[in-house]
Amino acid sequence: MELTVDQRWDLVDRISKKTVTVGDYKATLKDALADVTVRPLTGIPFAIAVLYGFWTFFGEFAGLLTDGFFVRIFGTHWIPWIGEKLAGLPDWAFTILVGDRAVFAEGFLGDPCFAAGGVLTTGLFMPFGIVLWAVLALFLVLAVLEDTGYLPRLAVLLDTVMHKIGLHGFAVVPTLVSLGCNVPGVTAARALETRKQRFMIIALLGVFVPCGAQIGMMEELIPHLIGWVFLTLAIGYFGFGWILNKIWPGESPEILMDVPPYRAPQWSNVWRKTWMRTRHFLFVAVPFVLLGCAIVMVLYATGAMDAIAGGLEGFLATVFGVPASATPSLVVGFLRKDLAIGLLPIGAMTTYQVFKSVILLSIYFPCLATFALLLRELNWKEILATLGFLVVTIFVFGGVLNLIGMAGGW
Amino acid sequence: MNRVLLMGQSNVGKSVLFNCLAGGGATVSNYPGTTVDFDKGRMTIDGEIAEIIDVPGTFSLQSKDKAEEVALKMLEEKKDAVVLCVIDSSKIERGLYLALELIEKGCPVIIALNMADVAKDANIRIDAEKLEDLLGVPVIATVATRGEGLKKLVERMKETRPVKIEKIMKSVEGS
Repeated sequence: MELTVDQRWDLVDRISKKTVTVGDYKATLKDALADVTVRPLTGIPFAIAVLYGFWTFFGEFAGLLTDGFFVRIFGTHWIPWIGEKLAGLPDWAFTILVGDRAVFAEGFLGDPCFAAGGVLTTGLFMPFGIVLWAVLALFLVLAVLEDTGYLPRLAVLLDTVMHKIGLHGFAVVPTLVSLGCNVPGVTAARALETRKQRFMIIALLGVFVPCGAQIGMMEELIPHLIGWVFLTLAIGYFGFGWILNKIWPGESPEILMDVPPYRAPQWSNVWRKTWMRTRHFLFVAVPFVLLGCAIVMVLYATGAMDAIAGGLEGFLATVFGVPASATPSLVVGFLRKDLAIGLLPIGAMTTYQVFKSVILLSIYFPCLATFALLLRELNWKEILATLGFLVVTIFVFGGVLNLIGMAGGW
Repeated sequence: MNRVLLMGQSNVGKSVLFNCLAGGGATVSNYPGTTVDFDKGRMTIDGEIAEIIDVPGTFSLQSKDKAEEVALKMLEEKKDAVVLCVIDSSKIERGLYLALELIEKGCPVIIALNMADVAKDANIRIDAEKLEDLLGVPVIATVATRGEGLKKLVERMKETRPVKIEKIMKSVEGS
């Protein structure tokens, strides 16, 4: 026999009357904190403080390990050493594994870590010298945030804002998780209730939310621009979210959400989570970085890169106002965006061109791992729509940024 | 018995319990809806290897989001499984609702009254023995984050069997 909903609740009621006694409850410090962090007046400053702390920790931790340690190890020891050891290799092998002989002969103009370019030099430096520490720091803070129970409160706090673009407040959870890596971010979108909301958040994440690896590279190469990059991407996220909400059919209902009590994070759990995600980075992302380096060097060595760059030059310059020397970076952007940022010829571009290129790289294609996940999570109609959305976004966003630049004379 | 499904509402500690019983593998966070796909593991019950599955949280057996769909599909596919129904002791009513639904479906159920520490802090007392008498299924208080009650939980898994809802209604009337 199956009961009706009313009968079942009635039975629950009678069972709990016989088995549960509820004593007096005194509000604790935890409750006070819980209250303070969801009321807009106190909650918003608290949220800003939390995110600022989050960012500071990330910057300090990653900066200490990269600039303070790994840049020196790679720059003054590993890269010159491997250049010497492998000097006897044939030209093509030397180019792919180590880098351009001319650059080595000149004793590196600028930074050897980025100038070398080979699989064993720049290819190893980027993931292990920079990105690993950035993602590790981000995964660590995110794990702590996830375990305390702060994220659902942030969701409550931002619910009103998120509803303006047809999303539920819970959408901030996948968004924040995506700042570490888009892959768990996209998976977390499953907790949203309607197809429309899941599609919207996945499309917005794939296009506008940079992952930890990209953020690490930005922090290393263009720390002075990173604020502007985030602001621009946030404008895109909300602006295009608003448009998607208007044109994509479906519902965005209000839902009830459980807000769990605050808990002290369990360190064993924080470590395990951080490690699981870092391991994913090591085994899934790093091979693509190395492959990307190899492809770029092969394209250089065979002269194919010049041909591609020549072909794209007019297009890039007219639509986006980006020089042809940014082509290699755009080519490998399909594989890994962190590598792409590392390959931008920053010295050869104006500040505004660097800014535009970083934005273009952020929005232009989700990395392969994320894309594979999109194929699993969305139906073909939604996948086509995501790709269409991507193309429109690139042209509209890139074009508008270029126009702004022209108007400002940058 | 060769299969255990961990079911319950979201954020009641299913994944923590899973990690204790199966030795890790599930992601644990303090927000509802962390597990959106299922995780599989192995555990030993009474000297026999059993498969244990961490199912996404579901409020009731009517699915609303994609994670809940996964949970219901799991229940349909693994008809022979023992259902370990995890309940947040500080929100026992809604947990009992799901437990009753599972019992009505004819699943052999064992209940973990998890987060017993939270309930205690909130001054909520639950008579687990009485509850067990009324429902006719094993009921064990647990604190999964500290591993309390887990040994008992595993020991009593073999006692699970389907219970008729009419019998529960009768015993609630009677006592």
